[in-house]
Amino acid sequence: MFERLDPRSPVPLYAQIADHVRMAIASGELRQGETLPSVRQLSAQLRVNPATVVQAYRELEDDGFVATRHGAGTFVQDVSKDLRSRERRNAARRLVRDLVRDARRLGVSPQDLRDALDHELNGGGR
Amino acid sequence: MTFAVETQQLRYQAGKNFALTDVNLRVPVGSIYGFLGPNGAGKTTTIRLLLGLLRAEGGTITVLGESMPAAYVTVLGRVGYVPDRPHVHPSLTVGESMELHAAFYMRWDARWAGELQRQFRLVDDRRVGSLSKGETGKLMMLLALAQQPELLVLDEPTDGLDPVVRRDVLEAVLGYVSDRQASVLISSHLVHELERICDWIGVMDRGDLMAELPMRDFKNGIKRLYVTGAPELVGETPFTILSRAPMNGSAEQWLVRGWEPEMRGHVESIGAVVTDVIDLDLEDGFVELLRSFRDKR
Repeated sequence: MFERLDPRSPVPLYAQIADHVRMAIASGELRQGETLPSVRQLSAQLRVNPATVVQAYRELEDDGFVATRHGAGTFVQDVSKDLRSRERRNAARRLVRDLVRDARRLGVSPQDLRDALDHELNGGGR
Repeated sequence: MTFAVETQQLRYQAGKNFALTDVNLRVPVGSIYGFLGPNGAGKTTTIRLLLGLLRAEGGTITVLGESMPAAYVTVLGRVGYVPDRPHVHPSLTVGESMELHAAFYMRWDARWAGELQRQFRLVDDRRVGSLSKGETGKLMMLLALAQQPELLVLDEPTDGLDPVVRRDVLEAVLGYVSDRQASVLISSHLVHELERICDWIGVMDRGDLMAELPMRDFKNGIKRLYVTGAPELVGETPFTILSRAPMNGSAEQWLVRGWEPEMRGHVESIGAVVTDVIDLDLEDGFVELLRSFRDKR
């Protein structure tokens, strides 16, 4: 779930971790009632500061994606369909934002980018 | 106590060509403080001064609220130290070196020491002198952690270790910090390794602590800008220009600190255009910072 943390990104690590969890919930990879790894486990696994994980979990809690029960762990909440689809749209925007930025850097025209996107959406060149 | 370590005007002369000058270092309680600098910058010397292993020629040192070196007997009992060179006698076995440490440290946790020993696969009756570099590194970390320190001082703890061992060692440190909220001062010239871990950064060069700031400020602020049409003199800017380097035509590369996206407008107001803004990772930022600092001297 956390393969692609990027320390170079201007998005802080805690926000990247929270985004990954939100996406996993939106996509159904994480279901209601499942537990997230403990702060200790996730901090060691990702080799990030424990405070970063705490901050990510707090944000998820504030957004209603998870709830923490003291001594028991952090659990995925019942997330509404609306919230899940909104989260998927947010993820799509994030992906496209990066794509557009890189394309600008390379001087790719908007039309070429649209064509390439359509091509990939239709199964690529195989 | 707000700082686990605090020095004021710390001074030390080491030989003719190297001196620490007026080092004011502050490690907030509960932080993981990355102490960065090239080899020979004075990181190890500073650490030795903090722990009373060298005597300062001026300034004050406070560690865990107590004055050093006066209070070293009580302070050292609360500090876990992994020195740059192993300090356990090679003729002792792994088990014996653990017993020896247990005798010195009141808060030694034998159960946890045993757990770490299994995790690190350190065989009880192996002689320390026959351990590989990686095994020695793990033993040093075990000895520092099992005494349950309030402050961990790690001097290049992963230098020369293979990636698997580095990972084991860092995971053990992070696990301990999660459980105990200890403070950590970790020195390294392997900048990328500290990038995800630290929340404070101190940068030392040639005996001078040239920057000390929260990691997020360090990373957010420093960018490389591609600028065209900039005049020779740009006057006052809301950000700091650390360096300017010409490229083709009127294009330039700027290294800046304190950059915010709204500041594009300011650049345009002096007749220039920002064509691209590149995020730097910690290593790039560190290298560029050192470079700009050295150019100024």
